[in-house]
Amino acid sequence: MAHDYESDIWVDWCKGCGNFGIVTSMYKAFKELELSKENTVVVSGIGCSGKTPHFIDTSGVHTLHGRAIPYATGIKISNPELDVVVNGGDGDLLGIGAGHFVALGRRNINITILLHNNRVYGLTKGQAAPTLEKDVKTKALFKPNIQDRVEPLKLALTCGFTYVARGSSLDPNQLKELIVEGIQHQGTAFIDIFQPCVTYNDIHTWKYIQDNVEQLDESYDPEVKDDKENIDQVYEMLNDEDKIYTGVFLKNEKKSTFKERIQKILPGYEDTPPAKREIDQMIDQKEFEELFEEYFINRL
Amino acid sequence: MSREDLLLIIGGEQGAGLETTAQILTYALTSKGYGSIADREYHSNIKGKHSYVHSKISTKTYPRSLTYPIQLLGCMDAETLFTHHEDVEDGGFVVYDVSIEDTNIDDIPSISHELKSAYKENDIGNEIIDLVHYLDEEKDIVPIPLDFQGLLEELQENFELSSSQASRYVSSILIGSVSGLIGLDKESLDKAVERKFKEKEVIAEQNKFFIEMISSKIKDEHGSPLKLKDSKMNKEKRLLVSGNDAVGMGKITGGISFQSYYPITPAADESFFLEEHGEEKNIVVIQTEDEIAAINSAIGSSLTGARSATATSGPGYSLMVEGIGWACMNEVPVVVTYYQRGGPSTGMPTRGGQSDLFSALYGSHGQMPKIVLCSGDHEEAFYDAVEAFNLAEEYQIPVIHMLDKFLANSVVNMKSPDLSQVEIRRGDIGGSKDYKRFADGPISKRAFLGQEVMWYTGSEHDEDGNVSENPGNRVKMQDKRMKKLELAYENIPDDKKFKYFGPENPEFILVGWGSVKGVCLDTIEGMDCAYLHIWMFSPFPTESVKDILSKCEKCIAVEHTHSPLIKRSVAMNTGIIIDNEIVKYTGRPIYLMEVKRAIKDILDGDNRKVIEHGP
Repeated sequence: MAHDYESDIWVDWCKGCGNFGIVTSMYKAFKELELSKENTVVVSGIGCSGKTPHFIDTSGVHTLHGRAIPYATGIKISNPELDVVVNGGDGDLLGIGAGHFVALGRRNINITILLHNNRVYGLTKGQAAPTLEKDVKTKALFKPNIQDRVEPLKLALTCGFTYVARGSSLDPNQLKELIVEGIQHQGTAFIDIFQPCVTYNDIHTWKYIQDNVEQLDESYDPEVKDDKENIDQVYEMLNDEDKIYTGVFLKNEKKSTFKERIQKILPGYEDTPPAKREIDQMIDQKEFEELFEEYFINRL
Repeated sequence: MSREDLLLIIGGEQGAGLETTAQILTYALTSKGYGSIADREYHSNIKGKHSYVHSKISTKTYPRSLTYPIQLLGCMDAETLFTHHEDVEDGGFVVYDVSIEDTNIDDIPSISHELKSAYKENDIGNEIIDLVHYLDEEKDIVPIPLDFQGLLEELQENFELSSSQASRYVSSILIGSVSGLIGLDKESLDKAVERKFKEKEVIAEQNKFFIEMISSKIKDEHGSPLKLKDSKMNKEKRLLVSGNDAVGMGKITGGISFQSYYPITPAADESFFLEEHGEEKNIVVIQTEDEIAAINSAIGSSLTGARSATATSGPGYSLMVEGIGWACMNEVPVVVTYYQRGGPSTGMPTRGGQSDLFSALYGSHGQMPKIVLCSGDHEEAFYDAVEAFNLAEEYQIPVIHMLDKFLANSVVNMKSPDLSQVEIRRGDIGGSKDYKRFADGPISKRAFLGQEVMWYTGSEHDEDGNVSENPGNRVKMQDKRMKKLELAYENIPDDKKFKYFGPENPEFILVGWGSVKGVCLDTIEGMDCAYLHIWMFSPFPTESVKDILSKCEKCIAVEHTHSPLIKRSVAMNTGIIIDNEIVKYTGRPIYLMEVKRAIKDILDGDNRKVIEHGP
């Protein structure tokens, strides 16, 4: 095995697929962080990106179309010791699963979301994803796309994600850095990854990505100071039609994590999260009567 | 002469204090050792529409069903009297506010056109006063008009309250008048009020004063014509609970540590219960963005080793079924508490029904094993809520625990559970070197995320949990999963799958499931008749049910559906066709007198009786 975290499953993505760059960056990031294989869970939805967990030698949960986030939510809340990374396509996370994406932003759960953004539904032969521009006709489409595109980073900012970044499969080293930082970030990290679909997207090709992608200026500081997010500035960069910037757009460590919020209303959560509860210990008659005292009838 | 039992209805506008009234009366009555069942009927509405509580109080049993006619009707408004007057027994009592006497039925916008025209057909006269005269003269019903306004003013003066403050005490007028008529003593009422207004001493004092004032006034003027005998029941420990409460208690006892939910009637109260009482046990209750997230986050939680569940009703379950399929495919123990209501679609959100049995059994694509168990009363609901987790973990499959609105929202004094009868069984748990999640079936050793490296996928998979479409592997894995249901059929004892009540060779057998249990048990009392209660539909107790039903010539299905699903289920599993059915699909409870009448017609030759009583 070329990488420590590579599984022995044959990778069946198309030759030249952008996913190779993504999974390679994951192997490298996991290695750099020395993640425990048992304590790392890669969660995915459906589609080409959905296969990712099987190619990685950590635990993997390959779920339903659009539902990777709810699974990851249940896993992370129940066992906060686990490092949870979600892989999802643009159709998966922003189409069928968009509601969960919005809700995740409201919670700031400490998980990392990797968006495989190739602007098409590859595994079902190239239909338009929610990220595809209006009036564009990729080769698999019979007619030009008549629906507007959603900008993943803008949506993520609006929903309240606290680490918002973009990478591309063209630059696995930069992407690795982003993933490392994303996993280390306390809160939800969202990384939009621009990648080609070599089979069905003849517009957003390797060359297109190369010609259009540019790293954010080094002087740009994404860190949120004094509780105030300067989203306008980020929006401006995202509105630039000539350039697709990569790098970290926003990093907000001021916002409370979901763990802290649960802890506040459930003081025993930190010591005994759901996965750590001793279940074999039955409630006895006395404890039952104390717990539900107010329901007992006081016979006069 | 005092009474052994009493049926009463208290009605009024939704949001006008009806629940407080019913609660305090029930607290007081049950503290005297009386048996009580109270069914709450309400619209999908926050304020303004008609709602009512229908109760049965007994001095010698714990009532399991309701019936008509009632002996006492307490009206908070005119609509209550227009709606329920036909259900008052001849010689019964009606308490109402004197100020509604000139209210005309045509002026009440919340009364339906159907009710208005049905009322007018009787030519009674359109105003409450006409109706009161009619009830008095034609049916010997005693009207008890009370001057609500005057009474409230008296209270106002006594405690120097503003009129808006005093108006909140309307419920106490009904409590006082009902307790006067049934001869409830001051001590039990005072205790009930204190219980309700625990930390609000002043409010409690004022309520106690007001209730006593009205109760004495009623006693002075009318005596206590509905006086109840002393309770004949022993002093065993009892709880006053709704079905939602009973399930909540069961889940906490059963070791739940994660519950996800999306708000829906009539399931949401259970999640509230867990939030309120689960802190000591560190139970995480998460309100998710939809039911899809509710089931899938519960499944995710279960993968980490937590006992996880979600609670919903029909529309929510419809959204959950894809997740249930994933859980079956990946052998995940997860519990779904499914409170049925009137369907299809939005149907009747606050009314009951039993039309979702097949939705629970088959509502997801593909063939998969799951356990479906159905509670028939509050006590069963408690024990089933614990057992659901045990079965889910033992067989590593989802368990759908079915209840309905009738059970969820009715309040009874339930026997305190005997926890020596309850156990926790977690099944085969543990990891190993070179762990494979799906090895050595049918039931594999289950390790949790965080213990070993493992893979899960909704795709057909091999022992490692990696995708495989190899035909041989497919057969092996599908056999492995389906075999678990066979094991459950063999290993779960019959007395956990069904119950048989009544004589051995009866003239006929009622066949039912879920909340019809109570009314069926009351029906067979004193008759040459048995009741077969199906508790588990998957795995179905095929051989035993075949045995019982094939020996009896007349079987009658009783169910809250248009076309009884229990008939179809019995036919599918045993080949036996149940020829007769009593059905109700108005969304209201099945009442004892209706079943008795319907059975008579069936014994006279009818095959199908549709019953419809109740407003």
